[in-house]
Amino acid sequence: MTDTPARIPGERAALIWGVLATILVVVASIGVFLVAPGDADQGIVQRIFYFHVAIAIVSLVAFAVACVAGILFLRTRRERWDDVGEAAIRIGLLFSVLVVITGSIWAKASWGTWWVWSDPRLVTYLIVVLIYAAYFVLRSSAEDDRRMRYSAIYSIAGFASVPLSFYSVRVAESFVHPVVFTRGGANMPGSMLVWFVVSQAAILALFIALLEVELVGRRSERALRQLVLRLENP
Amino acid sequence: MSGGAQYVVAAYAVIWFLVLAYVVVLAARSARIGRRLEAITRLLDRQEQRADPPDAPGDAP
Repeated sequence: MTDTPARIPGERAALIWGVLATILVVVASIGVFLVAPGDADQGIVQRIFYFHVAIAIVSLVAFAVACVAGILFLRTRRERWDDVGEAAIRIGLLFSVLVVITGSIWAKASWGTWWVWSDPRLVTYLIVVLIYAAYFVLRSSAEDDRRMRYSAIYSIAGFASVPLSFYSVRVAESFVHPVVFTRGGANMPGSMLVWFVVSQAAILALFIALLEVELVGRRSERALRQLVLRLENP
Repeated sequence: MSGGAQYVVAAYAVIWFLVLAYVVVLAARSARIGRRLEAITRLLDRQEQRADPPDAPGDAP
């Protein structure tokens, strides 16, 4: 009989991060809904904040990871970095869509409207989402080495939109989107901050787990393609 | 539901539904790779058997 195929690198890491993410998400959910104090101003609606902001921060981290992977790809030309870049943007985009939807729900509950076009944070974040959605259009328009090269350059150039979104709310004079984290620290009591930190850790662990699973999938597909090629051309 | 609880439920439902859908897509891809790997393993087994056929009865000296 044929030997059992060797383990794909990263499988164990994906499993460990998956378990850690699950534990942290459960702990964070318990903390957010049962332990964290209610907000005097917004009431229960404020509980959207914990995961909404945590996911927003991790989405920007994902785009930063893709930018670094793009630089490393252009320096080394190793396919591995193209895999990391594409997977990071795919997950970052999923998280960005979650941020837009949950933000919109929160806006409806707090401001009475689903979207405010005059708010710089909302509009610049939407631009970031559209820029990264276009990454996949670009990727599907080229093949092999050109695709990887173009994707790397785009992920580096696209990252310029991230600080634009991050600082827009700080430089704009009129806006409705609140700024919780300032240079002076977090504008919330410690009993809320602790559950925000746990939520942030949970979403970061979830991102790493999904990234590991994506990378294992890509490595497996590549190994499978090479095996098929060897079988067809012995 | 009152006091905006329905918005909180909607927001968290969207988060977990989309994350779960993404995990299901990843799991489906993993299952597809597993099936293809199984098919290749079976093919290799058949090739091995053809290259090295078992001894027929009465062949022994």
